[in-house]
Amino acid sequence: MRLRTIATLTSQAVRNLKRPTCMTTTVVVMACMLALSLFTLVAVNLTVIGRQLQAGVELRVFLLPDAGPDAVASLERSIRAIPGVSRISYVPKDEALRRLEAQLGDENGLFIEDMPYNPLPDSFDVSVRRADEAESIARRIQELEGVEDIVYGREMVRNLVGALRVMWAATGAIAVVVLVGASMVVANTIKLSVLAHNREIETMRLVGASDAFILFPFVVEGLLIGVIGAAVASLMVFAAYSLLIRWIGSAAPFLKLVADPAWLASAALSLVGFGAVVGLSGTIISVRRHLRVDVQDV
Amino acid sequence: MYGVTKVYPGDVVALDDVYLTVEKGDFVFIVGQSGAGKSTLLSLIYRGTVPTRGQVFVDGRNIVRLRRREVPLLRRKIGAIYQDFKLLPDRTVYDNVAFALEVIEAPPKDISRKVSQALEMVGLSGKATCLPDQLSGGEQQRVAIARAVVNDPLILVADEPTGNLDPETSNGIMALLSDVNCRGTTVIMATHNQAIVDRMRRRVVEIEAGRIVRDERQGTYCHEA
Ligand SMILES: Nc1ncnc2c1ncn2[C@@H]1O[C@H](COP(=O)(O)OP(=O)(O)OP(=O)(O)O)[C@@H](O)[C@H]1O
Ligand SMILES: [Mg+2]
Repeated sequence: MRLRTIATLTSQAVRNLKRPTCMTTTVVVMACMLALSLFTLVAVNLTVIGRQLQAGVELRVFLLPDAGPDAVASLERSIRAIPGVSRISYVPKDEALRRLEAQLGDENGLFIEDMPYNPLPDSFDVSVRRADEAESIARRIQELEGVEDIVYGREMVRNLVGALRVMWAATGAIAVVVLVGASMVVANTIKLSVLAHNREIETMRLVGASDAFILFPFVVEGLLIGVIGAAVASLMVFAAYSLLIRWIGSAAPFLKLVADPAWLASAALSLVGFGAVVGLSGTIISVRRHLRVDVQDV
Repeated sequence: MYGVTKVYPGDVVALDDVYLTVEKGDFVFIVGQSGAGKSTLLSLIYRGTVPTRGQVFVDGRNIVRLRRREVPLLRRKIGAIYQDFKLLPDRTVYDNVAFALEVIEAPPKDISRKVSQALEMVGLSGKATCLPDQLSGGEQQRVAIARAVVNDPLILVADEPTGNLDPETSNGIMALLSDVNCRGTTVIMATHNQAIVDRMRRRVVEIEAGRIVRDERQGTYCHEA
């Protein structure tokens, strides 16, 4: 199709958009997109906050008391080789005792000095990259030779991972519902639009207009409904979220929300892209059903 | 057209085993009573309907088994004037005529030149910016004619193009159709207008209840005794 034809057909679609049904549908799409973006923002922020907590997830690997320096070195190499391990540091038992003293403070420190020998084993502090991998990494370390026991915040890790999973599942579900629901609404609107132009479409066919020529304005109409709905929604969310960030920055500075402008911009763009997908799929659903009239019915 | 039978839903036999050949450049009148099957016969040519049985050839191609995207290409070779005009109600007279050229994506300069010419031919230059609703029946018919001839079709299919016109305008239209015919376009026209058929002395095909009952080279409206 030539550019000029595309321009003509597009302006026709824009004129169609002014009908009340199209307006209503755009608002519905917008509402869906609002819900979707709210869920996404909550999920993303929980994940980021979770990551910050996860960064503190450390395994403490206690060694068997009779491990020699060679065994310690080879164990360290083995642990470092496990995928997902981000950091490992050796804590000899004297160091562990010193830390304990520091933790307990002066008064109780006296009690430690009274002990006849150091009861603590040598150990490794192992940091893992992701909390949900902590358990499997712990299991692998347990199997290595020279390891006595492993301690880590099992419950905390499990709860965090579980909560994030639920949050993302809900967001995914909302995305699917929005995709299907909003597409159906768009499909219905385009169907009405097609029906309203039924006689015209018949005439265009008889004059020799191709399917593409006839379909194009409807496709643009659906696309615009999706894109405009999503764009308005993302503008609203963007404005509200900026206010929220500023407010939290002063009221609760310890909460570090996602504020990277590049990320926010790309999220807004993705939302608009999602709107385009919704609009297009809605149009395709409805056009396939209502425009595939065979010549015999003309 | 070979052995064409058309049965509409409800067992209405509109055409019954029709054989008809029209040479390139011919001028043919299709006559017959109302309901005889004239419009049905014409619609087979631009694939407004497909036959229940039989084959239809246009420009050497069998159009019964046409792929979907080939149908518009067929219709661009054919100018058609429909009994009910089939104008686009929300477009001006000018845009309605221009539409036939827009679908083939003609250059804008050609469009404005050809549309102006066509409107002048049918005497509607002054009404170019009217909407179809603002025109009389005869004026709408002339818009339909302008649209049918604007892209110099291979075949002109005209279903009662003089149906709503006074004798004088009818004669003007017939002169126009003869003109188009002289430039090489095959014209197939269904009509009830006895005066025109008798005066023109062209080929006449009479249909009665879906069958061809008469086919004369230089015929008249009624069978000559
Ligand atoms: N779409 C349709 N569905 C069912 N029957 C139809 C349809 N179109 C036409 N018919 C029937 O087919 C027969 C022939 O109709 P057609 O329109 O071809 O007649 P015609 O010769 O053009 O008549 P007129 O001079 O009134 O225009 C009629 O009996 C009509 O009722
Ligand atoms: Mg008829």
